[in-house]
Amino acid sequence: MPMLPKRMKFRKQQRGRLRGNATRGNYVAYGDYGLQALQPKWLTARQIEAGRIAAQHFLRRQGKIYIRVFPDKPVSKKPLETRMGKGKAEVDYWAARVKPGTMLYEISGVTEEIAKEALARVAQKMPVKCRFVGRRLSV
Amino acid sequence: MSNDTPTLHATIRERKGTRYARRLRSEGRLPAVIYGHGSDPLSISLDHIETLRHLKAGSHVFEVDVEDQKGTETCLVKDLQFGWLGDDLIHLDLTRVDLDQLVEVKVRLHFVGEPPMLGTTTGGVMEYDLNELEVSCKVREIPEEITVRLESMAGDTLTIGDLEIPDGVTPTAESSERVCQIVVQDDTEPEETGEAGGEAAAGGEAPAETTEEAGDS
Repeated sequence: MPMLPKRMKFRKQQRGRLRGNATRGNYVAYGDYGLQALQPKWLTARQIEAGRIAAQHFLRRQGKIYIRVFPDKPVSKKPLETRMGKGKAEVDYWAARVKPGTMLYEISGVTEEIAKEALARVAQKMPVKCRFVGRRLSV
Repeated sequence: MSNDTPTLHATIRERKGTRYARRLRSEGRLPAVIYGHGSDPLSISLDHIETLRHLKAGSHVFEVDVEDQKGTETCLVKDLQFGWLGDDLIHLDLTRVDLDQLVEVKVRLHFVGEPPMLGTTTGGVMEYDLNELEVSCKVREIPEEITVRLESMAGDTLTIGDLEIPDGVTPTAESSERVCQIVVQDDTEPEETGEAGGEAAAGGEAPAETTEEAGDS
């Protein structure tokens, strides 16, 4: 079941633009290792779910996966062979706005080798270039 | 803190600003600033690789030997700034301290071993709530890391009160706060993965978590 919000204040949104890099959610906060996006893109709920399934199939019952993005943007699409106009179309899918630097998934409770392999499989499902990262320094 | 405080050799930055800081970084230097104790702030640059090596080893306190100045200054790492990818160190804030001054710092937790209950619990996984612990101690007594021995974990939960903390070091959090626990996984499909994460993500709180095996086959 792909992720979607429980309720929205407004049913439809304007498209907006993805500009700049991520300034929040750009480091490993919950797990030990993470998968970081290096390109901007709308990540659909189905893609997020595909990534989760890929990781869990590989990890079996080890470790814990954290999904750091949530598809809270409704994207509308007109049906095929429809004339233009007649108002904005119905919501087709939900997407998460991903900027370069956004942490997509995190994993904890497994070794670095296993986490790297699991996140490499997740990266195959992503529509953006990604990189594997660990925790950063802190004081 | 180990007995031998690492010494960093620093040069004064004559020119400040983004452009000059970038040039320094391209030369393998790390821009930094020293402030505190009523003295004027001092813009310096350090060797990037050497500083990073010490920071990764868990050092919090440095003797900074500034070029063209008498003696060294004892400094505590106050803040780190990272680049746009969130993990490349671009600037360091150092504050002047006395070795007997009481400070609050975050110390890394080093987990060793496996809890005995994990082997007996079906489908159990370790969940770590804390990876570092904020402690209050004298500058000379700052530990590089706190070792957490999971073999001695009696139940399924380990709290701050159960940790072996060195003398002179006091955690700032309550002793009942959880450090890690054994979580038993369900075999059911996680319904909340799709539903519950909505407001969490929007509100900047905890992300959606999944520990169960996907029922997608």
